[in-house]
Formats: sequence, C-alpha cells, structure tokens
Amino acid sequence: MYIAGEWHPCDDGVLRPVVRAEVLSSEGHWVHHEFLLDVGADRTVLTAAALRILELQAVNLEDGLAGIGGSSEAVGVESKIRFTDDRGGKVIVQGQFAAVRDLESLDICVLGRDVTNNFGVIVDRPGDRVCMIAQPDRYSIVRG
Amino acid sequence: MVDCDARLIIEVVDDVDALAKAREQREKSNRNIAWLKAHAHEVYSHHRGKCICIAGEKLFVADTPEAAYALGRTMFPEDDGLFVRYIPIKKVARIYVYRG
Repeated sequence: MYIAGEWHPCDDGVLRPVVRAEVLSSEGHWVHHEFLLDVGADRTVLTAAALRILELQAVNLEDGLAGIGGSSEAVGVESKIRFTDDRGGKVIVQGQFAAVRDLESLDICVLGRDVTNNFGVIVDRPGDRVCMIAQPDRYSIVRG
Repeated sequence: MVDCDARLIIEVVDDVDALAKAREQREKSNRNIAWLKAHAHEVYSHHRGKCICIAGEKLFVADTPEAAYALGRTMFPEDDGLFVRYIPIKKVARIYVYRG
C-alpha cells in the first residue's frame, strides 16, 4: 500500500508535506481535506473549519492539545478518514480524532502518529517525495 | 478489518461501487485543487482572515466555514469534490500542535 502525498504550496507560499484525504461528515458525506504529514505530532487534529462543516459531535478530550502557542481548546470527534493509494484503492482509518475550535489556531488538518504509526512515512524534500507505505509495499535505503 | 491501534481501526475498501464513487469524487477534488493552485496568489492575497470554498472550479468567499461551504454546495450541488479552507490573517512561521 502506497499513499502518495506532495509538497504542497500553502497560503504563505511555503511548501509543506501534505496528504490528501476525505473525512466523513455527520450526514454521511465524504469531504475533501488536506493533512499536514507531521511525524512529530502525537495525534491527528482536525481544523475548526473541518469540525464545523463536518458537523461532527464533539466530546470532551481527555488529553488536551498544546504547542508553542500554549494550549488550544480542543474536542474529540468520532469519524473516518479515507486515503487513496497509488492504485486507486481506498483505505479508511476510523476512530476518535481531536479537533480545535479556533479558526486561527490551526489552518490545516494534522496527521499525527496515532495514524502514521501504522505506516512507513517518507518526507523527503530533496527527493521531492511525500508518502505513507504499508505492507505489502516497502522501501529500501541505498547507501552511496 | 485490522485493529492497528487501541483507538483506531484501519479498513481496506473492497466494495467496487464504493471505490468507483470515491474515485469520481477524487477526480472532482483534483480539478478544484488544480484551480486553486493556478489562482493561489490572487486568492491568498485578497482573502486573508476569510473562509474560502472551491467548488466547480470557482471561488466562494465567506466569513465562516459553514457559509463558504453552503455557497459552494448551493452553486454546485453535484460537485462532491469541493473543499473549504480558512486563510490565516497573518503569514507566520508555523509549528503545529502536539498532545500535552
């Protein structure tokens, strides 16, 4: 399984590693979102914009969210995230994800290690590659 | 279905109809993303602090994500590849969240 991402030009012109996916709304619609592939983030977090248009039921989050800017008001939501592999197949990750309530605190959804721990993750700027890999696919490193 | 994490379940979709529908939706979102990339400078420089929706390869701007989403869905109800994004007011270096 090979899920390709890309170095995506964000609103500030900076290229960031992004994987595209769809998130299931409370009405049963799959809605497109981009996820920052953040190997340092402990968990997956939806933006406030995503939370609001998906109309997901929010529950208290046992563990809060914090970063350099301090704590963010966050909630938990049950949903599904659907990824596309390079052969057109679909993979769905289901569970509880975090979401922030403030639009300014997060402008792109974050794909954290709760999801990425199930994949090999490549974020390679010089090689212009962003991807998540799982069995039966694999990667190798060739030393020069 | 494989339980890969205490809280998450990963499932590979094998329903042919669901796959076909999902691929069609992805093609539509591809077109909307390509449109935004082609108009990125214009969109991002004029609509900071706003919510945008790209649907039918057209731009809709509103103060809230719900309003932007509603505009896109109303004007292009057949486009399930639409998406909504909030454009931050300021361009700043970003470090994203972790669990505390």
